[in-house]
Amino acid sequence: MSDNTHLLKYAIMNKHRINYLSLPALALVLTMFGNITSAANITVQQNEDSGLYSWVAESEGFSIELIQLLPDFVRAIYMAHDFPDAEVDEIAGYCVFGTIIKNTSQQQLDYDVADWYYTDKDGNSHPVKTKTQWLEQWRKAGVTFSWTLLPDKGTFYQGDWQQGFTTIKLPRDSEFSLIYKWSINGMEHTDTFEGLRCAPETLSEQ
Amino acid sequence: MHLKHYLSNKFLSLSLLAIFSSLTALGTYAAWDVQPKLGYKLTPLPKPVPAPGFTLEDMDEENHSLKDFHGKVVLLNFWATWCPPCRREMPSMERLYQKFNGDNFTVIAINQMEDGDHVFAYTGQLEVDPTFTILFDKDSKVSNSYRVNGLPTTYLIDKQGNIRYRAIGGREFDHPEVEKQIMQLMQE
Repeated sequence: MSDNTHLLKYAIMNKHRINYLSLPALALVLTMFGNITSAANITVQQNEDSGLYSWVAESEGFSIELIQLLPDFVRAIYMAHDFPDAEVDEIAGYCVFGTIIKNTSQQQLDYDVADWYYTDKDGNSHPVKTKTQWLEQWRKAGVTFSWTLLPDKGTFYQGDWQQGFTTIKLPRDSEFSLIYKWSINGMEHTDTFEGLRCAPETLSEQ
Repeated sequence: MHLKHYLSNKFLSLSLLAIFSSLTALGTYAAWDVQPKLGYKLTPLPKPVPAPGFTLEDMDEENHSLKDFHGKVVLLNFWATWCPPCRREMPSMERLYQKFNGDNFTVIAINQMEDGDHVFAYTGQLEVDPTFTILFDKDSKVSNSYRVNGLPTTYLIDKQGNIRYRAIGGREFDHPEVEKQIMQLMQE
């Protein structure tokens, strides 16, 4: 099965899943328990020039896009900000995704990356390393630069959106699922972003 | 006006262009730079909050304080050259500034943790060089005082120095809806 077919399969599965999980009765039951597990509408795109993939998951009032980034791109970004070599190598060793999150509702949306985690192909769960954790590490290494990473927490109103890097500690080309949470007007939502894949080491490998 | 930066920046400009060109050639930068369409909604604060004061240097190392702009409506923008939506919204800020400058309105763009050379190299590549005030928050103290978590973040401050609107993420600031909000604040 080609990579494209595999990714498309996930996209189709998720698109179908929404028809079942969005049943009003199920939503009502879940609402009673204070947390809605919704099912995102996931679309996959492959950049024509680079071959790199990006995924968009659109859920209840929340949209998240993950864009594969090559390790060399990540290195260039942090070297340009004078990070010590060890710190550059460490973050470039993660799977780094350009991440764009949007409030697509007309209400208040809150999120906290500390509540997010990912599962690897063996089903093991791992917390997402937060911006606060990275900054703590960087401060100890004498780095004061505090931007580029997706902010840990946010309160978004209508039209607000944000972007930054998300880091996943898995080998190149690994597949994983991201479980992410957000709330709209205090109502918590959880979704699973399936079929994600780390970027390869270089373009020729994809 | 920025002549003193010119010579020292020539090499930096070329270096920056080389980096951006290489990354674009790789396709990575192009992919990351594809952004959502910019919106125009600014969020009104339920209760106006006094805008924290600051004094920062501009490109020519001259100090500017927020209090210097008292009596004007201020669009206060936090940004950086490496931030794609910051770059995308900047032309709309310039158009807005050109339209309302002189009518008790100004635009201040506070750059985060970069220096004059770097920003000069960047603005030199723009089709229209920004003419609004660009200040340098080299240690992000001012952005911290405004509780800015990510870039770009923009505040609209009224003539009394109170924050009235907020926007997280890029916007088209010369959209008629935004212009209407600014005109309302100017007429207060």
